[in-house]
Amino acid sequence: MVRCVVDCCPALPCAGNIPVEKSSCSRPGSTPLLGVTGGFIFILSSLKLPSVTGSCSHPTGTGLSTISFGPWITAVVCAIVLLFQSLFLAHGGLSVLGANIVSMGIVGPLVGYAIYRLLRDTSVNIYITVFLVTALADMFTYVTTSLELALAYPAETGGFASSFIMFMGIFAVTQIPLAIVEGIVLALVFKYIVALKPDILIRLKVFSEDKINAARSENS
Amino acid sequence: MKFQYTLEVLTLIAIVTFCALFLYTSSTMTGAEFAGSDNVGSGLIAKLSGTPIENFSPLIPQWQPPSGEIEACLFALQAAVGGILVGGVFGFWMGQKKKA
Repeated sequence: MVRCVVDCCPALPCAGNIPVEKSSCSRPGSTPLLGVTGGFIFILSSLKLPSVTGSCSHPTGTGLSTISFGPWITAVVCAIVLLFQSLFLAHGGLSVLGANIVSMGIVGPLVGYAIYRLLRDTSVNIYITVFLVTALADMFTYVTTSLELALAYPAETGGFASSFIMFMGIFAVTQIPLAIVEGIVLALVFKYIVALKPDILIRLKVFSEDKINAARSENS
Repeated sequence: MKFQYTLEVLTLIAIVTFCALFLYTSSTMTGAEFAGSDNVGSGLIAKLSGTPIENFSPLIPQWQPPSGEIEACLFALQAAVGGILVGGVFGFWMGQKKKA
């Protein structure tokens, strides 16, 4: 019980952020973009894909939303998806909802956002930025899951560290190929957003106007 | 003229490689069951804590889909909601662009 409450604590700021997000979402014309980026979280987190370790896992799809709206809105969208999965699919559950929101909705997107901020104003190609943000947000979601489980179940011999390595072997290694494919696919999706609605991206200051225009002229 | 479909080609290569990798693992790896990594993780938890998997129960009572079919149906529903959002918005944007 205590563990469940502790797990939920880091997820609280995300609940407190909802009113803030509403105001930033209400920038006119950006709601459809929220629909697209949120839609990809819905689709990708329901696809359980096979991987090289002989087990299945699913991508997270949080990269696009992180780049377009930042990690806090992403956390809210993830919370909705995870609530659906825990109520109706017994995939996760209400007792571990907090832990799941932390890994998929907070730590993953935060790592992605850090990379995005690092690369945004450099000359790195925007599609490479999207690829890296998406793939690493996905990877770090599962690294965090391993970390949470290792903290909850340290091994008898070797303690936390050996348990962390074992969980990483299950979750993170399975995730590597999925994260790479997810990164490439979402970079392609971003290309279509750039082609169709560059004005929204410029208005939200996702990338500078020059960079968006450069990417557009490259593709047309 | 510059080749403009680099990303499309890369995506195609990535997906084909991914499928090939799956076919390769499923045919060469012995004991590859392709269970969810969550289930494999649960197995490890049971091993680490010395408590059999059946003895774990959620703190907050949990509804479980009565069968795999129903679970698959609900997962498909989730993907469909996402697909409608994505397809709808892209269609809306394309219409806007055509009109402009």
